[in-house]
Amino acid sequence: MTPLIAVDQLRVRLGKREILKGISCHLGASGVGRAIGLLGPNGAGKSTLIQTLLGFHRPAAGTAKILGLDCHRQSRAVKTRIGYMPENDSLIADMTAVAFLRLMGELSGLPAPAALEKAHETLFHVGLGEARYRKVGTYSLGMRQMAKLAQAIIHGPELVILDEPTNGLDPAARQRMLVLIKEMKEQHGMNVLLCSHLLSDVEQVCDEVVILKDGQIVHQCDLAAERQTNRRFVQLHVSGNDTTLAAALREVGAEAVSEAPGAWRVILPDEVEAAVLWRLTARENLRITRLTYRRDTLEEIFLKAVGHLPPAARPEVTHGGL
Amino acid sequence: MAVFKRGYERYTGPRTGALARFLVVPRFAWPKLLGERFVVVLLIVSLFWPLLCAGFVYLSNHASLLPGLAEAGDAVQKLLRIDGAFFATFMNVQSTFAIILAAIAGPGLIAPDLANNALPLYFARPLSLASYIGARLLVLFGLLATVTLLPGLFVFGMQASLGGSAWLAAHWTLGQGMLLGFLLYILLVSLVALTLSAYVKWRVVAGALVLGFFFVLGGAAQIINQVFRVEWGSLLSPSYILYTIWCALLGVETPADAPDAGECLAALVVLLAALLAILLRKLRPVEVVS
Repeated sequence: MTPLIAVDQLRVRLGKREILKGISCHLGASGVGRAIGLLGPNGAGKSTLIQTLLGFHRPAAGTAKILGLDCHRQSRAVKTRIGYMPENDSLIADMTAVAFLRLMGELSGLPAPAALEKAHETLFHVGLGEARYRKVGTYSLGMRQMAKLAQAIIHGPELVILDEPTNGLDPAARQRMLVLIKEMKEQHGMNVLLCSHLLSDVEQVCDEVVILKDGQIVHQCDLAAERQTNRRFVQLHVSGNDTTLAAALREVGAEAVSEAPGAWRVILPDEVEAAVLWRLTARENLRITRLTYRRDTLEEIFLKAVGHLPPAARPEVTHGGL
Repeated sequence: MAVFKRGYERYTGPRTGALARFLVVPRFAWPKLLGERFVVVLLIVSLFWPLLCAGFVYLSNHASLLPGLAEAGDAVQKLLRIDGAFFATFMNVQSTFAIILAAIAGPGLIAPDLANNALPLYFARPLSLASYIGARLLVLFGLLATVTLLPGLFVFGMQASLGGSAWLAAHWTLGQGMLLGFLLYILLVSLVALTLSAYVKWRVVAGALVLGFFFVLGGAAQIINQVFRVEWGSLLSPSYILYTIWCALLGVETPADAPDAGECLAALVVLLAALLAILLRKLRPVEVVS
């Protein structure tokens, strides 16, 4: 399957500075609605990567491809298949939202009647239906963000690049934006590249994450797989005679290692739920005093990747206990 | 089904070609320009001079209508002649309207896109920088051609029709010269308007700069000529450059000691290249700080 985004030894220079220093990665897959989070501290090269994917910067070396098409050499073909929501205010203020979206739709290759129809449809979709004949310049910040999202999806792109889509939104509007992004991938099969400083947004929406630092990729992970792995890994503290616990756990296919008297580290098989532990310990006349699983939040993954958190420091998140 | 009930669906229908996409920008810009009162008033006012010239053409071909005119002397007959000098005067006057029109309409084409940071939206779509500039130039070309090229060709066509095939066979180069001259003129005025609006972003200031570019530079050229007792200062005047080229194209004599048409053409090419370079430099989807 063709990767959605394929970057190979990509180097980008702006002036004399090298912003992207030979990064390589394969993200997503065409035809599958997936969301990819692009994270990194300020100045890491996130925007430069996005702009290179959009064909705004010429790579000094290496290649960047979207859906198998070279972003620089086949820029026009790439741009018919992507939508872009910029971070900053990028609107045509003296146009009504309908006219603005119509213009953007027609520029993306929609025939005029279809562009008009889609403009109305998309504006209703993002919640601007009632305000669609107002000039975009009169919109509030939240409405502008929605208008920016609408122009990015009016032509039904395969990949939507969203640069800080929840910037400046109040909690309700932010939640609505995240719901829309989720719908884009789950209901409409669009792929999303989400660049955000809000890790919780990325965690809520994305399936994959790439973390950039100083123009290099320092971490790339599949969030769904990461969540699955973490869910299987349990730390168990029991009181009572636990000599038979290891054997009992093996019965259900779990692997268990005793770390200290009464303290166990358990890896549960995929099909076994954590509730089994309660049943087994009850059967063995043990009392669970603490049940925790170590959960790598995206924040921890991010902080470790950018070097603000040592790899060993993994705070525990208590999920149960007596 | 009503749009608001239907919900969003991804568009999967046919897409338009490159030419249709290119024409989207002018299609949206022209109605907006024609909605501006000043533009409409100026368009109407700019048609008075061509109407006057058309009347003159009619009169020169129907001298017998006015008693005594047919028997008038050589000086009057020369005045009534439709030749290169007549079309050079026509172009010179009509071009003033074009400059004012470009000063009013031109800055509204690019300055708002820059002020609203809308360029990333254009360039994230299948529209190249060259297409964007070409489309904006086409908007101004359509507008300026309405006050220059079309009335000019109308007057020429009228004279050709009234003068007969003999006149046309002897003077067809006037039509060709006027066409080429106005095309060069529209290109220069459009590029000046777009470049200055890209440079200052503020519409009013950009409009004033467009006027200043033509009128102030003309004055500056004269000052240089007077102070340094030279003639090459005229090459700094866009109006002079174009008028000299027009005269050459229309077969009208120009002062012998002033820069000739070849030098003016070279100056025009340098000027156009400089304007284009500035425009390309300013029109970038993202600002790069080196």
